[in-house]
Amino acid sequence: MIARGKLADPRVQEAIDSSTERLRSHRIDAWNELDDVEGRRARAYEIRMRAVRDIDGNLNRFRSALEARGGHVSVCASAEEANAYVVDVCKRHGAKLLAKSKSMATEEIGLNDALEAAGITSVETDLGEYILQLEGEHPVHIVAPAIEKTKEDVARLFTDVEGVDVPPVLEELTASARRQLRQVFLDADVGVTGANFVVAETGTVVTVTNEGNGRLCASLPRVHIVVTGIERLVERMEDLPHLLSLLGRSATGQRLTSYTHLVTGPRREGEQDGPEELHVIFLENGRRNLIDTKYEEMLACIRCGSCLNVCPVYRKTAGAAYGPVYSGPMGAVLAPLLVGLEQAPSLPHASSLCGACTQACPVKIPLHELLLELRSDLVEERTAPFLERLGFSLWSVAWSTPIGYRISTRLARLGQRWGSRLGPGRVWAGGRDLPALARKRFRDVR
Amino acid sequence: MRVQLFATCLGDLIFPDAVRDAEALLRDADVDVDFVERQVCCGQPAFNAGHRKAAKRVARTFDKAFSRDHPIVLASGSCATMASHYLPKLLDIEPYEVWELSSFLEHLGVEVASTNTGRTLAYHDSCHMLRDLDISDAPRRLLEKSGATLAPLERSDLCCGFGGTFSVRQPEVSVAMADDKLAAAADSGAEALVTADPGCLMHLTGRANRVGGVPIVHLATALRHGVGPTSG
Repeated sequence: MIARGKLADPRVQEAIDSSTERLRSHRIDAWNELDDVEGRRARAYEIRMRAVRDIDGNLNRFRSALEARGGHVSVCASAEEANAYVVDVCKRHGAKLLAKSKSMATEEIGLNDALEAAGITSVETDLGEYILQLEGEHPVHIVAPAIEKTKEDVARLFTDVEGVDVPPVLEELTASARRQLRQVFLDADVGVTGANFVVAETGTVVTVTNEGNGRLCASLPRVHIVVTGIERLVERMEDLPHLLSLLGRSATGQRLTSYTHLVTGPRREGEQDGPEELHVIFLENGRRNLIDTKYEEMLACIRCGSCLNVCPVYRKTAGAAYGPVYSGPMGAVLAPLLVGLEQAPSLPHASSLCGACTQACPVKIPLHELLLELRSDLVEERTAPFLERLGFSLWSVAWSTPIGYRISTRLARLGQRWGSRLGPGRVWAGGRDLPALARKRFRDVR
Repeated sequence: MRVQLFATCLGDLIFPDAVRDAEALLRDADVDVDFVERQVCCGQPAFNAGHRKAAKRVARTFDKAFSRDHPIVLASGSCATMASHYLPKLLDIEPYEVWELSSFLEHLGVEVASTNTGRTLAYHDSCHMLRDLDISDAPRRLLEKSGATLAPLERSDLCCGFGGTFSVRQPEVSVAMADDKLAAAADSGAEALVTADPGCLMHLTGRANRVGGVPIVHLATALRHGVGPTSG
């Protein structure tokens, strides 16, 4: 984990600024069409929390429903377990080529690396993810993975791949991507997708995309494998429309994404398309740490990315202030909970606590308050540095009485000329003038 | 009407003039202002950094100093949020009646002196005041009543980058956020940037002293004296 958020370089920052601003304003416009915004957020929260509070019950219901349709369900405790399952399925089918649609869960477990190690070629088919795969990079935004790439960047990459000049024009770029990816869909033995929601009562996997690649991954190859977190479950089909309407609006400002794909089981007799085999892998990978804790609400997250787009820290640092997979405020909360706070002690502090994330969240997760809780845990677990804990303790003892306050602030005034030479004062003074303590405090002169 | 004035630590130690202006505005509105000498700080610096034990120790001074007989008024949106939202939960005590200055003045329906006639000002929304207390119109209306024309500040809701210990944990990001705010203020064409939070004031002034920019003025000062060449 990165200890201190470095600013992204100016060109990247400009790209991130304009992209997040566009997503943010589209979201606001889309929400402005709705009445009773707070009621809708509250309902979304209720639906998500109802599902989160009964994850095991919902898992069992999903398993029964999907197995009755001929699908396979597996709950994997770790990334290794999930990767091994996918590799195993691929090997059983002699798969050499795998078509993948965008999925943060597969990013989280490093699926592509595991497949490569097993000699299986995995091709990302979401345009943004495909661009990043060609660059050998990882997504910095959970919804718009290649948010920092310009069309010139992409044109250069595609020109290299196709060996012919691809101009930096959006239509030309998508046409080029289509030429490159079409054969992958046709040749792939296995398709891997994530899931935006999983409906327990019916055994249905729901994916939303704008490029249609998810649907091709899920229907053309012989085998379809879904990798998703255990928290993606919702209880009933009737819960789904409400969440879908908020997801599209929040993520990209769309009333609904271009494609909403509902899969309930593999191909049945007499059907024309769909995979012969369907596997749904539910990933735990630390998620159970959150159940029945003060952090439970984080499991309600629908990965819309709204909190990234409004976060001033995200906008300045791109992904660099955060962990390797989930970024922005949701990542600053989720990543330490998944991997352990001691592995990511800087993430809860990658925020000015401005609260824009909490305000933007369509499912009402109190993100900045969860960051406060994590900061408190850092201190309680003594993961916070000793000097910091000592400093706050001494300060609080001094300021626990009016007389202690008077003496300590008098001393501080005497010592302020050294303030910019050590500790936090020195860091502050790196970019800003230290404030001068007034010669007379307010209480001295009134 | 009688109120208890909470100076806040930043107000007491760094911006006593702004607190004096806040007190004067209240007195001008015929409010009796008590200043409880025992007051220290609400504990927010430690609370926001995760040091709850330290925060409690300091927050108890607030509970000991103030009574529930009269409203508490203060010229800081973020301390008002701490005192009204977080402090009672932290200490497990009954909440106090806490008012941020501009919302209190508006609540009283006070007349504001025409201190800013002919001036163009911009207002920066501080985060807690805007999102936790939901106060954004009151300071603007008061500035307009004082004769100012408000210049639209682009993304006035964006954080200035202070964020308490964030400012020294992520100094590069913090400073870059301040630069954006200062640039927006310069682009707005305003003669000064007004904020109702000493934290933002300290941060933005500290940065502006290095790189230049329009004067940054506390709301209480802007209302009481107007924004002149010497007030920055």
